[in-house]
Amino acid sequence: MAARESILRSIREHLVASAPHDVVHAEKGDEQSELTLDIGHPNGDRLSASVGVQNDGARSLIEVFGANLEAVGGHCIVARSEAEVIEALNGIIASLQDSPLRGRTIALSNAPLLERLMARVETRVDEIAVSPSAAELFDYDVGISTAQAAIAETGTLMIDSEAERHRLVSLVPPAHIAIVDAANIRLTLGETLATASQGPELSPTITFITGPSRTADIELTLAIGVHGPQELYVVVNEGPPLTNS
Amino acid sequence: MSHLTTETFDSNARAALVDTQLRGALRNATSLFGKRRLAAARGLENWEDLRTQARAIKDDVLLHLDRYLEEFVSNAEQRGAKVHWARDASEANQIVCDLARQQGVRNVVKSKSMVTEEIHLNDALQASGMEVIETDLGEYIIQLAGEAPSHIIVPAIHKTKGQIAELFTAKLGIEPTDDVDKLTSVARNVLRQRFANADLGISGVNFAVAETGTILILENEGNVRLTTSLPKVHIALMGIEKILPRFVDLDVFLKLLPRSGTGQQLTTYQSLITGTKRRPEDEGPEQLHIVLLDNGRSRMLAHPTTRQALACIRCGACLNACPVYQQIGGHAYGSVYPGPIGAVITPQLIGLGKASQLPYASSLCGACREVCPVKIDIPELLLHLRAEITDRKQEQEQAGGRRQEQAGGRRQEQEAGGSFKKRTGERFAFRLFAAVMTRPRTYEFSVKVGRLLQRSIVRRGKIGRVGGMLAQLAPPLGAWTNARDMRPIAESTFREQWRAGLRDDTDPGSDT
Ligand code: SF4
Repeated sequence: MAARESILRSIREHLVASAPHDVVHAEKGDEQSELTLDIGHPNGDRLSASVGVQNDGARSLIEVFGANLEAVGGHCIVARSEAEVIEALNGIIASLQDSPLRGRTIALSNAPLLERLMARVETRVDEIAVSPSAAELFDYDVGISTAQAAIAETGTLMIDSEAERHRLVSLVPPAHIAIVDAANIRLTLGETLATASQGPELSPTITFITGPSRTADIELTLAIGVHGPQELYVVVNEGPPLTNS
Repeated sequence: MSHLTTETFDSNARAALVDTQLRGALRNATSLFGKRRLAAARGLENWEDLRTQARAIKDDVLLHLDRYLEEFVSNAEQRGAKVHWARDASEANQIVCDLARQQGVRNVVKSKSMVTEEIHLNDALQASGMEVIETDLGEYIIQLAGEAPSHIIVPAIHKTKGQIAELFTAKLGIEPTDDVDKLTSVARNVLRQRFANADLGISGVNFAVAETGTILILENEGNVRLTTSLPKVHIALMGIEKILPRFVDLDVFLKLLPRSGTGQQLTTYQSLITGTKRRPEDEGPEQLHIVLLDNGRSRMLAHPTTRQALACIRCGACLNACPVYQQIGGHAYGSVYPGPIGAVITPQLIGLGKASQLPYASSLCGACREVCPVKIDIPELLLHLRAEITDRKQEQEQAGGRRQEQAGGRRQEQEAGGSFKKRTGERFAFRLFAAVMTRPRTYEFSVKVGRLLQRSIVRRGKIGRVGGMLAQLAPPLGAWTNARDMRPIAESTFREQWRAGLRDDTDPGSDT
């Protein structure tokens, strides 16, 4: 506790020492803000015109979400019913099987919905496991989970560890498929943060995911799938909500 | 590469300047990030408001830092985290090594964290017999090479893919390749093995929310998520200045940080961690330890000018914008924090005596201030530190002068007296310059006065060697006009032309 007390004391003492300087500084600050007003924002009007999708009332949240997700290298598939969600899963798994990512072994989160859906997916796979252990997960080709919310303006998924066991399923396998209900898409990050912090207790882990894992650490060349998934598919369900059941 | 220090900035910089490969890489990185930042900032209509808001939030935090820290600690601990306080680097290292030993840790995985570099945590862990692996791709590369990061965002920017391939061939035994995807997947596979065996994960913290006890970490690769999800213990280290008051404040900072750093709307992943898991069968570590590090930070609260450096969110925008950094890169600064922000933070953290060249590593062009998402006035800070350095030299010389007086060495005494006068002038000049340049009305007034005064010395549109008199008044100007002509003050300044109507027909080229 000695360190705690001495750090807090040091903070307080130095803030007290600063007080007389703060007064002088504040006066100067006033002059500066006056200057900002004076020069103004020469391109202010042009800026708001160029904002793009956010202000475009004609486009739906789903379209905005999809466009932003695709812009960062993710795939967005819109389904209008449970049957279409299954069809989408079918198509995604089939196309993964045609790729170097294989798509033969599938790890599901513990969301009961997923087992039900996968039972009706026709593409043949070698194995479907529900919530395998961390060590086992390294051997799976695909991870499937739901997402608790999505942010349209950035193409982002929000996954909440209290709702589902999907921290690792969404991260370790080279492909991640997430199902999100259209009703849970918000326009902005701010709204989503506000929703997340509602309720008495914040979830222990909330993760925002925007596209597949990426790096540009070697000669600024973009490489996808460095530690996390190389492919991210999001199935947006426009039909009756699935994920809260 | 040998270890560069802050004390040899001058020679470090000269060496960097002849390294054409380094300069090419720097040019690419800084201009690419600069362009992306600009585009991303323009994509938000309220960029300026966000900057103002962010700074106001940070100012509030710093002025009440004790209270917010206590609030953060109490909320984090209520939710199962254990918080530790470290006055300096050695205390922080001790805390982490003790925890690791208690848990019987052998293998440590780390995600990128500047604070852990600041305290040289890896050395301490290795000395305690633990194996530490950096898992961010860039950090992993330079760890393999035994080098230091050269850029906040792209730590291995100074290495070509050819050099990285050679390194991987030598250290990992792969077939030579210059395919970036292949190199990346080699690193992925090696590091996966490390993740699978790790018993401790160490991360930094980007923001810590007082209201909820949440820590937030941003990244693109996924290694932070693995580091904070797989091992049974997670230790997060943070400077005491990382606090934000409310959960919703994250909105402002998550808009500013990725856009300023890489030009992304959002980085690929944000992990928001609030305490430990609630049930043993849940995913994630059993223990979360948060280490709060002071290490010279609380001292910086003592003056509004120095305090603002604690608002820094380590986005790297000022590095990319800085004409000095663009030429010499991060290594030359010889410190963990490079570029303009490094030039103002490092001397304050390690002491002015050890880093007295860094505040001069700037042309005071102001580009850093323009791009900074939290509006830190780095030039003001540089001038403040320069004045302090001059103060110190003067004190030392005074002390030296007294000693010589006692010894009766008259000639040396005179010399000391001469440079004493010069220092007083220099100190006064920097103070005056700072005062004038940061106060618009005073600036305008001095321009008018200057225009009147210069009439006597302007020759053929230039101020020639005004030498003698000016140099005596203010030595830095003397050195300046030895090698170049000083431009006289214009008939009408930009500010005056702007008011007179220029603003209406300019092409708005700036983002601010
Ligand atoms: S000083 Fe400003 S621009 Fe530089 S790294 Fe810090 S926040 Fe970014």
